[in-house]
Amino acid sequence: MIVWRKLSGSSFSGLVIAGICLFLVSQSAFSLEPNEYRQFMGIDSRKLVWFLAQLHLFFGAFVLGVPLFAVIIEIVGWRNQDAKFDKLAYEFTSLLSVAYATTAALGGLLAFALFTLYPTFMGYMAGLFKDVMFMYAMLFFAETFFLYLYYYGWNWLQGTHPFSNTVQRTCKALGVAVIILSVVFFFNTFGIDMRGDTKSFITLLYILPFGVGLLLIRDAKSTHVLIGILLNISGVGIMQLANSWAGFMMSPAGVDEEGELIGGLWQAFENVLATPLAIHRMLGNLAFGGLVAGAYAAVKFIGAKTPEEKAHYDWMGYISNFVAITALIPLPFAGYYLGREVYSQSAVMGNNMMGGDFSWTFIIQAILVGSLFIISNYYLWSGMTRIPGSERYYKFIKWILGALIISFAIWLTPHNLPLTAQEVGEMGGSQYHPTLKFLGLMPAKNAVVNLIILSTFFSFLLYRRGNKVDAVSISAQGTLPKAVISLAGLAAIAITGQYAVTMLTMDPAELDLPMESAHYFHDIGYVLLAQCAAAVIAVALALWDRGKLAQGVFLAVTAFNVVIFLGVYGFVVMEKASPLLRNVAVSQFLQLISCLILVSAIDMFLFKGAKEIGSLQWGKMTVRSQYSLLLLTFIITMNMGLMGFIRSGLRGDWHIFGVMRDTSQWSYTPSNYTMTEMVSLAVLVFMIAVAFMFWLGGLAARNKGTESGETGSDTAGVRDV
Amino acid sequence: MSKTVLKVFVVLLVVLGAYMWVGYAITEMTGGEKKASGIVEISPEGGEQIFWGKGRCFTCHSMGGQGSAVRCPNLGQFGEKFPLPIGARAVERAKERSEETGIDYSATDYLVESLAKPDAYIVDTFKNEMAIVYAPPISLNLKEIKAVVAYLQSQGGEVDIDTIEQPSEVAVQYYDRIAAASAAGGGDPGNGEEMFVDTCSDCHQLNGEGGEVGPDLSTIGDKGLKFITESILRPAKKITPGYETYVVVDAEGIKTIGLKSQETGAEVEITKATGEVVTINKSDIKEIEIDEGASVMPDDLTEALTVKDFQDVLAYMMMQKSEGEQQ
Repeated sequence: MIVWRKLSGSSFSGLVIAGICLFLVSQSAFSLEPNEYRQFMGIDSRKLVWFLAQLHLFFGAFVLGVPLFAVIIEIVGWRNQDAKFDKLAYEFTSLLSVAYATTAALGGLLAFALFTLYPTFMGYMAGLFKDVMFMYAMLFFAETFFLYLYYYGWNWLQGTHPFSNTVQRTCKALGVAVIILSVVFFFNTFGIDMRGDTKSFITLLYILPFGVGLLLIRDAKSTHVLIGILLNISGVGIMQLANSWAGFMMSPAGVDEEGELIGGLWQAFENVLATPLAIHRMLGNLAFGGLVAGAYAAVKFIGAKTPEEKAHYDWMGYISNFVAITALIPLPFAGYYLGREVYSQSAVMGNNMMGGDFSWTFIIQAILVGSLFIISNYYLWSGMTRIPGSERYYKFIKWILGALIISFAIWLTPHNLPLTAQEVGEMGGSQYHPTLKFLGLMPAKNAVVNLIILSTFFSFLLYRRGNKVDAVSISAQGTLPKAVISLAGLAAIAITGQYAVTMLTMDPAELDLPMESAHYFHDIGYVLLAQCAAAVIAVALALWDRGKLAQGVFLAVTAFNVVIFLGVYGFVVMEKASPLLRNVAVSQFLQLISCLILVSAIDMFLFKGAKEIGSLQWGKMTVRSQYSLLLLTFIITMNMGLMGFIRSGLRGDWHIFGVMRDTSQWSYTPSNYTMTEMVSLAVLVFMIAVAFMFWLGGLAARNKGTESGETGSDTAGVRDV
Repeated sequence: MSKTVLKVFVVLLVVLGAYMWVGYAITEMTGGEKKASGIVEISPEGGEQIFWGKGRCFTCHSMGGQGSAVRCPNLGQFGEKFPLPIGARAVERAKERSEETGIDYSATDYLVESLAKPDAYIVDTFKNEMAIVYAPPISLNLKEIKAVVAYLQSQGGEVDIDTIEQPSEVAVQYYDRIAAASAAGGGDPGNGEEMFVDTCSDCHQLNGEGGEVGPDLSTIGDKGLKFITESILRPAKKITPGYETYVVVDAEGIKTIGLKSQETGAEVEITKATGEVVTINKSDIKEIEIDEGASVMPDDLTEALTVKDFQDVLAYMMMQKSEGEQQ
């Protein structure tokens, strides 16, 4: 059941090997008879494939996440003309070359294992997806090309001498054309029948970035940025193609009950779970890439001999963590979306997820995710010790910690668990605990997950203003802040307002609810309208130089709406109009996002150029804080393994849900202990391999440094983001 | 640096050790691997294994103090709401059901109905969240479902294997439903019926309802799964006599393709796939012939169906049998 879990690893099978295997088996006829299974040296085939796939996925996530991360940092450095960011981006990219080869080698090994040990299954998949598999191979070549051009062309494409006007104009025209194309595509003008999420994914992650990249071209450096964007487009493309196979195994589409393709290949490719999975993986990989890079910085910091080295790696760790947290914040919502789609695909799979075989696994997951947020906050608070003046904000930490711990406790409270008759008796004959039963329900969990994110965001706000004496007048900063804050306000209003309209106009019958339940929809709509009103007030206050008050008002309204009001109201909705609960969750998410956007926009200008009590003292961090960065990396890696176990295990005893049964001797759901053993082994081997790769990278850098006469780290003048 | 790396790996090992310890502790408490059982013996023991294993009934139902699921009614004696275990409760529920429908229900009929068509008679304050147990991923076969019925009867009721094996008129329709669904790869005939009404009934009749463009499907189940599957996937492969596709070309060269629904001495009436009826004077016809490689039935129909929809329709079609073919 768990075998095929990482078939969808984000990238890079050993193409030659896979190609040969594909050729050999793609003609195999699919059979409803028991499938053929083989073993290698008597090893449990499922565990072997599980281990290889998990390892391949870790490396795949790394080589997908790090370039995303590197290009973002390169763009920040390029736009701010700060060479330190550019250097940092290059340092991260240099980690990729060895990882890339290892990922490809592991992909080859995995492909060998799959094709030789599970020939019937792979024969079927290769027959069905042969076109997609060849596209995958082509994209692999594209990614290789762009990666090496990006890495080896770094110095070559550093120039800022403008290209001729003709070249610039041509690129701009092409960029505009591609952006128009993205809009046309998004609004379905081509008449392509496609799911909304797939269309958004393709528009936002492929077409639009390419168009923007073309628009930016004016010199060699901006061309390098475009190459970085193309590198990421091909990486994400590889991930999406492979995800379609994993999604298909859970939600097959376009095939009949004998496994024959009866629809188009597109249907099989764009199955229900393919895009939700891709969105979740995309964010997860970005967070993972950031944290692995952060671990690298932490190890370097711990071993650093000089203050300069410490300063450099402290800053590197901070940036890595910042990017990771940015990706981590929307991840629970992407997970919610994926879970919802799993439930819509099959209620049995959905129930089994959090209320069946995997309920305890989800409790372990809650512990891991809660730990990620708490440790991230701890890292930020530790970082405040290097900021003179931040002592003023220490008093808030205990409250934030309290909120996080309570939220964490609620999050991992199960609704119900396997109990003995004696335990039921001790709880007064009920299977629910009299008090805790409420905390195990989704409304409580939705409320606290939002509180965890708001608290983390609040920590970040405190961190940013740690050494600033006072806010700066926004009205005196020219038109840019006014425009940005107003636009952010409009975005916040658009995000929440459109959903308010949806809630106020929605027919309850759409959710199989009677007309009498319309007022529940309206109540949610009014809350969203209140959020819009708060956004208007916050923008007005910010433009009227009351930025802190604006942030306070909007944060308070959001916290009240999202955590308190909708947290409690969620129980009412659950009791009276249960199908509406998912809309409550969406409204909470939208309000939270609107809050993050507007408050961040105000914060960008509130302390811009403000008088400082002292400069950030990079490097003056405790070693403990670096271990917290390492812990974050370990935990996210373990969590990836765990979540893969759940996702894959949900299929039960099916290789392809409802189409091809797992008739092997390993057709059962392994215990949680087996899961932790397998994941731990994969994590350990991955970390050893990464340490080795980093060591190799360091060796290469030292050799390069010796050849060019460079010594030490360039650490002066590092800046915050 | 090597010392640092060593320290880091010690931390990693501690973290992984804690992780495995949590996994171990949970497994000790909740049991190990979950293997689907393949019991087919129709007995309370066989049913118990299905209930707590392959059938996944425990995900939503508890049995008194055993289990912890609360999504659906507790099937044991539990609190004020459930004073009787399901075996005894089924007798009461069957009486209520008989009063409601005017059809005589036995306890066995009630239990069979609850498993085969859970939305038929829902327990107050609960909603129908039960999965179709004979569809994937659970995919119980008829024998396994009968075993579960025996197990439920054993909970405070009388186990009556004879009634299970020789079903009443009420139960037999559900047995047909389950058998049809199993044969069709585990489709849900209820959903299949809806799909049929939405997609097929404009052209096909079923028990006197529906269009007349295509053949009447009231006894299509007699022809077997393979025939039905092929007829949906490749409708042109074998066309029912009388439903051949005609291509008529008139004097102006205009082609009309469809069924020859009527023919008189002077006119030919062609019914197109859209349902539109075109009457053509024989004197205007330049050419008329049967296209053996084509069917009026859309051959891209399956593109609009998911695997589940397809299986559901198949299951519903498999249930459409003539009197003689019914069990």
